[in-house]
Amino acid sequence: MKGNIVGHSVPKVDAKAKVTGKALYATDLYMEDMLYMQVLRAPYAHAVIRKIDLAQALAVPGIVRIITKEDLPGLKNHGLIFKDQPALVGIGEKVRFTGDTLAIVIGESNIQVRKAIKKIKVEYDKLEVITDPLRAMEEDAVTIHTAGNIVCTHKLDKGDIVRGFMEADLIVYNEFKTQHVEHITLQPDAGLATLEEDDTICIWAATQWLHDTRVDVAQAMGLPVEKIRIIQPAIGGAFGKREDIIAQLHLAIAVREVKRPVKTIYSREESIIATSKRHPMIFRFRTGVKKDGTLTAWEATVIGDTGAYASSGPAVVHKGLYHCTGPYDCPNVRGVAYTVYTNNTYAGAMRGFGATQTAFAYESQMDIIAEKLGINPIELRLKNAYQVGSTTPNGQKLYASVGVKETIIKAVEAFERLGGVIR
Amino acid sequence: MGDNRLMIKVTVNDRLYELQVDPELRLVDLLRDELGLTGTKEGCGKGECGACTIIMNGKTVNSCMVLAFQADGSEILTIEGMGDGEELHPIQEAFIRQGAVQCGYCTPGMVLSAKAILDKNPNPSEEEIRKGISGNLCRCTGYQKIVDAIKDAAEVMGGGGDER
Amino acid sequence: MKKRGVGIASVMFGFGYGEGFPDHSTASIRIKPDGRVEVKTAAADVGQGVLTVVSQIAAEILGVPVESIDLVNGDTAVTRSSGSTSATRQTFFTGNAVMNTAQILRSIIFDLAVKVYGKTYPELYFENSCVVPHGAEEKKISFAELAKIAAERGEKLEAEGSYFPITTPPDPSNGQGERVYVSYTFVTTIAEVEIDLGTGQVEVIRMVAAPDVGQAIHPQNVEGQMEGGSAQGIGMALMEEILFDEYGTLLNPNLSTYLIPTSLDVPRMQTVIVEDEEPLGPFGAKGIGEPAMISTAPAIINAIYNACGVRIKELPATPEKILRELKKLAAGN
Repeated sequence: MKGNIVGHSVPKVDAKAKVTGKALYATDLYMEDMLYMQVLRAPYAHAVIRKIDLAQALAVPGIVRIITKEDLPGLKNHGLIFKDQPALVGIGEKVRFTGDTLAIVIGESNIQVRKAIKKIKVEYDKLEVITDPLRAMEEDAVTIHTAGNIVCTHKLDKGDIVRGFMEADLIVYNEFKTQHVEHITLQPDAGLATLEEDDTICIWAATQWLHDTRVDVAQAMGLPVEKIRIIQPAIGGAFGKREDIIAQLHLAIAVREVKRPVKTIYSREESIIATSKRHPMIFRFRTGVKKDGTLTAWEATVIGDTGAYASSGPAVVHKGLYHCTGPYDCPNVRGVAYTVYTNNTYAGAMRGFGATQTAFAYESQMDIIAEKLGINPIELRLKNAYQVGSTTPNGQKLYASVGVKETIIKAVEAFERLGGVIR
Repeated sequence: MGDNRLMIKVTVNDRLYELQVDPELRLVDLLRDELGLTGTKEGCGKGECGACTIIMNGKTVNSCMVLAFQADGSEILTIEGMGDGEELHPIQEAFIRQGAVQCGYCTPGMVLSAKAILDKNPNPSEEEIRKGISGNLCRCTGYQKIVDAIKDAAEVMGGGGDER
Repeated sequence: MKKRGVGIASVMFGFGYGEGFPDHSTASIRIKPDGRVEVKTAAADVGQGVLTVVSQIAAEILGVPVESIDLVNGDTAVTRSSGSTSATRQTFFTGNAVMNTAQILRSIIFDLAVKVYGKTYPELYFENSCVVPHGAEEKKISFAELAKIAAERGEKLEAEGSYFPITTPPDPSNGQGERVYVSYTFVTTIAEVEIDLGTGQVEVIRMVAAPDVGQAIHPQNVEGQMEGGSAQGIGMALMEEILFDEYGTLLNPNLSTYLIPTSLDVPRMQTVIVEDEEPLGPFGAKGIGEPAMISTAPAIINAIYNACGVRIKELPATPEKILRELKKLAAGN
């Protein structure tokens, strides 16, 4: 329902501050007596750390403190769904991708901190590096986490897939693959933390869900939730990347040790190496269809590479499975989704959350089917598109607001109005 | 940082500064860290994204690619110098009107690139606008509303591209 | 030689976390002593415009101009959880929470005004930050005055409200559930491409997209989401790929080797907003953030096939890949 204000394009409430440069992002925050923080990342994607030698780094002028896991034996793992990600990797422990952190370096200036990081010496024993999720799933593959390389498995079974294929006049099988994609939020990851008089740690850093970030930081550090306060500055893009804890936990650790405000800004390179990606996924689709284009069966296997840590992976990959038939009604659907660890940069939430990857696969499959049947691709879509009363692969009946056919019709009309010709 | 600091004179947003700068200091850091002009954003540090775009002696430059001492004697315009006090510049108004601002991190650099485009040609074509902002990455808007805003501003400014 | 082709893709997206997850959003609203309206949420505005959307919803229900809304931003010390800005959920979840809260506050204001005037409910209405008696417009009372009266009586013009819908956890054995997601957004994209058969370079030359958003709270923002999402879809279809070597080293960690679309890579596109109202959404609205990018890449990939017969099954469709496939086609024929 349109109202006096709802349904109208009023000036955006945050636009004036942004267009004048007055909006403050985490990168723009400064405090008196502020220190700078950077971290040392892993030298190899899969290795056991044997020694971290800080002597030369500590001798760099301006260095205030270098923190390693040995200083924080009680530090717990963090993670959005599974707590499998360490903020620091210690001696005798494993790094699982090149973004894992070995040391937090704090100093008076960024230049000094960067110099010191280069002077830390690390000794380590290399392990087999797994970059291919199919290799990760093999029996003899080295396990990246102790419980094995398959993080989780999800199943889908609606109707009777066998009958569905028996009813089909044509069965089409294809495999599709998607790639690692990076969010490239234009604002690099950054944050500022302070320690208040009552020991509350205040963190200014972009996050997509500040209350959840707060709890995860608190549990990792073994602090009461009330002792962590997260304040949202302006956010220079997110697209899913800022769901994971990025700098917040390191800042909290640092500020507690040095008791002075601590700021960090990632370089673009560090952000790309160390923070989440879109899951690369493999889709194996077998689709049954009648001569007239009616879908009868859809079988799907989905494999998602979540990299070194689960992050949102367990939810992302099966969302790709649950959306495997797109906006099309198919009475018989069966499938399985595997979320798999590798030593690639961890994959997490990114705009579309698995549904983006699967759409490339099912919409390619629909066009391939249309051509094999000699049916116009638009007609094939309209024939199978959801309407009120259809059920999704999850068996959810759609009761209202099922505008997919109208989007097809309106898009075709608009395209033709612009002079486009659909061939 | 020692004795090797260099003395420079630089005019930023019509204000003259005389400053001692470290020879390694980048212009973007001078503006942000030392002059407090944080409207200029840094997105990559390699001249690849355009977020740190400023206008120096009438031309857009990536302030992450210029050393502070190289700005000696120059005249610089940053986002803080657009508009007049509380009054917004017509380009800024057009960005708001057209919905050209989403996360806003590219916006200061975009606004300055837009100004440079309109200073050069008060009535640019869509292609000229797209070329003119092609060094400024935006990940949110898909550029269309930014292009529309620059066209809109050109119309409002009626050819008077150089006013502030 | 260049060839053109057209491709279509339609997608659906179940929004909100769904699956029985405790997904909810809380907001609070109060009338400040100066009569302005303070809206508190922890919803992260990452540029998409949720703060504008909730301002519009509060303003609409309370009968005040958007300019008289003061927003309090996310801070765990002063705001309760609004859930995440993800899962395309903020317009729906925080939008509903703000709508519910504004309705509670509206009723609190009405209850007070009825007592102040000694008039019945149908005799009063809201307009421009005032309560106004029908037929006696000169006796209107501003929200600022009402706030003062409330304070004198020891009452508060404030409300807190949530939106916390129930969804069904899918059965682990078969993924079946009655209400796995709160609702679904649909989008269709049609893309036209031009392929240089000599270089394999693909240019998107025309694009339209039709999203079914239930009801657009802010049509310009919906267009902005579609345009930005489509640009990301172009990147995913044609150029973006993070590469690792066999040792797990990330090979292209900068913007000169990991390319994203520039203003020259994205065509002018048209968005046609379809509004098939969702009864559960605030004013009928559904979310659009994520589905805005989903249909772009498959539309482009289908257009490439339509143009030159190359079926790309592994993203992205780089010029090298297209040339390789073109060669295979030529050899096969």
